[in-house]
Amino acid sequence: MSASALVRAEGIAFGYPLPGGKRRPVLRGVDLAVRRGEVLGVLGPNGSGKTTLLRLITGVLRPDAGSVTFAGVPVGEWPRSRLARRVAVLPQHLELPAGFRVAELVEMGRTPHARRWFGSTADDERAVLRALVEADAMDLAGRTADELSGGERQRVLVAMALAQEPELLLLDEPTLHLDLAHQVSLLATLHRLREQRDLTVVAVLHDLNLAAAFAPRVVVLHEGRVAVDGAPDAVLAPALISRVFGVATAEAWTAEGQRHLALADVTASGVRTEATTQQA
Amino acid sequence: MAPRLRTPATLLAALLLSACTAAVEASASPTATHVPSEVATPSVQPSPEPAYPRSLTDDAGREVTLAADPQRIVSLAPSNTEIVCALGACDQIVGVNDFRDGLPDDVLAALEDVPDVATFTGVDREAVVAAEPDLVLAAGNELTPSADIEALAELGLPVLVLYPETLDEIYADIRLVGEALDETEAAEALVAAITADVAEVRDRVSDLPAPRTFYEVGLFEGEIYTAGEDSFLASLIELAGGEPITGDALTTAISAEELVVADPEIILLGDAAYDPTITPESVGARPGWEGLTAVREGRVFPMPDDLLITRPGPRIAQGLEALARAIHPEAFE
Amino acid sequence: MRAAATTPALVGRLPNGPTLTRAALVLGVGLGVLLAVLLLAVAAGSVGVGPGDTAAILGRRLLALPIPETWAPATETIIFELRLPRVLTAMLVGGALAMAGAAFQAVFRNPLADPYIIGTAAGASLGAVIGIVLPVLLPALALGAGTSLLGIGLVQVLAFAGGLGTVLLVYAVARSGGRVPVVTLLLTGYAVSSVLAAAVALLMFSSGRALAAVFSWLMGSLADASWPELAFAAPLVAASLALLVVRWRGLNLLLLGDAAAGNLGLDVEREKLVLTMLATLATSAAVAVSGTIGFVGLVVPHLLRLAIGPDHRLLLPASLLFGAALLALADLGARLIGGVPVGVVTALIGAPFFLWLLRRSRAAAPVLSA
Repeated sequence: MSASALVRAEGIAFGYPLPGGKRRPVLRGVDLAVRRGEVLGVLGPNGSGKTTLLRLITGVLRPDAGSVTFAGVPVGEWPRSRLARRVAVLPQHLELPAGFRVAELVEMGRTPHARRWFGSTADDERAVLRALVEADAMDLAGRTADELSGGERQRVLVAMALAQEPELLLLDEPTLHLDLAHQVSLLATLHRLREQRDLTVVAVLHDLNLAAAFAPRVVVLHEGRVAVDGAPDAVLAPALISRVFGVATAEAWTAEGQRHLALADVTASGVRTEATTQQA
Repeated sequence: MAPRLRTPATLLAALLLSACTAAVEASASPTATHVPSEVATPSVQPSPEPAYPRSLTDDAGREVTLAADPQRIVSLAPSNTEIVCALGACDQIVGVNDFRDGLPDDVLAALEDVPDVATFTGVDREAVVAAEPDLVLAAGNELTPSADIEALAELGLPVLVLYPETLDEIYADIRLVGEALDETEAAEALVAAITADVAEVRDRVSDLPAPRTFYEVGLFEGEIYTAGEDSFLASLIELAGGEPITGDALTTAISAEELVVADPEIILLGDAAYDPTITPESVGARPGWEGLTAVREGRVFPMPDDLLITRPGPRIAQGLEALARAIHPEAFE
Repeated sequence: MRAAATTPALVGRLPNGPTLTRAALVLGVGLGVLLAVLLLAVAAGSVGVGPGDTAAILGRRLLALPIPETWAPATETIIFELRLPRVLTAMLVGGALAMAGAAFQAVFRNPLADPYIIGTAAGASLGAVIGIVLPVLLPALALGAGTSLLGIGLVQVLAFAGGLGTVLLVYAVARSGGRVPVVTLLLTGYAVSSVLAAAVALLMFSSGRALAAVFSWLMGSLADASWPELAFAAPLVAASLALLVVRWRGLNLLLLGDAAAGNLGLDVEREKLVLTMLATLATSAAVAVSGTIGFVGLVVPHLLRLAIGPDHRLLLPASLLFGAALLALADLGARLIGGVPVGVVTALIGAPFFLWLLRRSRAAAPVLSA
């Protein structure tokens, strides 16, 4: 963990309030540093606090204990609009308001940079265009939000986030509603952007193999703590998966030497088995 | 008396008053030095009148200045119309309320071509202004909505609000209108005639025992409306030799239970004048009413002259007589 | 490389280019309609005045043109003192309600929100009814005894204070832990409104002869419009609407939901408070001079959203123009029918539309979100 980490979380604990003044603990002391230009995959079972961690990084939530800094300054001290110029979020679920054309939605991503009362500047227009192109959403620019398919919506959301021209892009399950081809294309886009824009990417993912193929570094959250942190090949071992997810897996190797995790037979529980080894 | 009042103090008072009613006087001469306090009192002498401009105090306590003898009068209430016509100024009326029921035939004929400028729901301000009146006679207690009165006054129209609540106030209002129209002698003569008629009725019934009398003004949404406590109608019933059973002073409503407790000996149906379904028989059939003394003894009477009784105009003595005849028919045999 | 190839062809499709001409078109049409309605509404009434005289009187009084007076003084009074303030008040109120409605619909992300939704109407009604009934109960306050201050009546002042105060109260009650959840806000507004409505009903029983005035106020009427009242409401409405228009970005972002708006740099809770208060200020000032006129604030933003899209940059000013024109027309109808409260006319138009809207939002996607 270098001192020049873009995001640094130290000992953060957080719980959601329950009726009666108590809190349901979600994170119990997480340490995490993300370097500039890094691509980090965040894994963990449902309820392990992945989304909460993202919200703490954006300052939407305040930690009960510990601290989160962005660029060396505690997130809580960042004015919202200034932080939004540097951090963009691709949420798990976003209802796009009906009636807006895609170009107008992407222009909303420029809000933190807005300098004019009514119009937009040449910089704004350039950024919107670039975002549309880079998110492969140019052909959607004139459509309205209500006519988009799931994959198209996701491209629009990426374009909105890119229009923010962030240094840090946080993604919450970006592949959740996408078919295989779109999952692969989205992650490829992110990699390209990381290089083109020197972007730092933190993505919450649910598919272990996809995460392993996408991120050079993954952290696995378990019971409110970081269970492992490191290169996927090193940390995504069957013993860990079994402990964290409670699922038996087997390692498999492709002809190219890539490692995959395959579910052990689950027909005993009545579920039909599919090949879970996915091509990354 | 008048010369003595022209002291610096009264001038100051008059100036203050005129400042308060600046809008009213917009079209009038600014020298409103006439002192109004004597005008509204019933004891106006028919002595030589000071020339116009003339300041008057109306029943709402407002100071109104007339620049000249009014030639174009808008009357927003039938009672006002009757007063103006009784003073011989019917031909000066240029706008009236559209409710013309119960006006005397000669008045109806005189007003045939006069436009309606007010309805039950309110005053058509544009129509009033278009009639170009130099005097507007309104009614008080929201019969003419106070918003309309204020608005017309703001436009510089002299608006006199008349709202008599007793016989004496009817006399005072007749004198006030007489003063406004420079018809003080006619007003005195009219008041004298009414006073004499009222005295005659009173003399016939004053020594007779006063039966408990309930006057039904109307039924609405299950509420029974009658003479309010201390109201004009209550005082008329008293004058006519009855003991009025009254409702709430503000709403004039009375509950059926209170009515049963009060147990009227005479029931007079004012609303029967407008609603043919209200008859002594239908009233007797109302739940709880069959035990009332008036119903049992058959002393429930429709009052076709309701308008004369409830309209505070120059024919109030006729209304009083109609009441007295219903309560004490024996006194008029 | 791809960017270089596609950029030139796309410039025309980006929001800024076409939107400018579209905005100019929409607002130009709105302004033209508004002017036409102004002339029509001032020329028509229970007393006939020719359009030539109407235009000449307006030109003489408003633009100080040297036009000779060929009409009766009464005609000038009718046009300038009675109709013009009434028509302008109708426009002010209609514009304020429509724009506030557009804002509330975005803040609550609820297509059925109107400017009265969190208690403005109930609070203003209670204030106004107190102002109407008080002089009946305490005759010392009655007509001519100083009820008006600078031409503004007790009714207007109390209605304004009631509307604004109620929303502040509702907001304070609904607030917990620095946040004001929309559902809590709506429910609190509903509950507080119910209490205040009961108080209004109670007062109506003691209003006596003033009941007609109370009823007319509750239905919404412009019959008492006057220059002083207009001078009271216009600056409040103008200031709050101007401050609302420049916050169009916030309104657009709120349509994305609180989380997304926050991620785009919006201080969501603060923005909602500011927007709610600005819209409430405009609504309260409008209601103070007109009574609670319904449906304009609900219907106009909706029709416009269907016609010109949901971007508040255009939707807010367009709501102002078309709301103003619509209410002036509705009031003309009310005047010509003969003294009917204008709220009756807007309800007659608005209620069927409301039903259609309900059916439509059940059948298709909700109007505000895809």
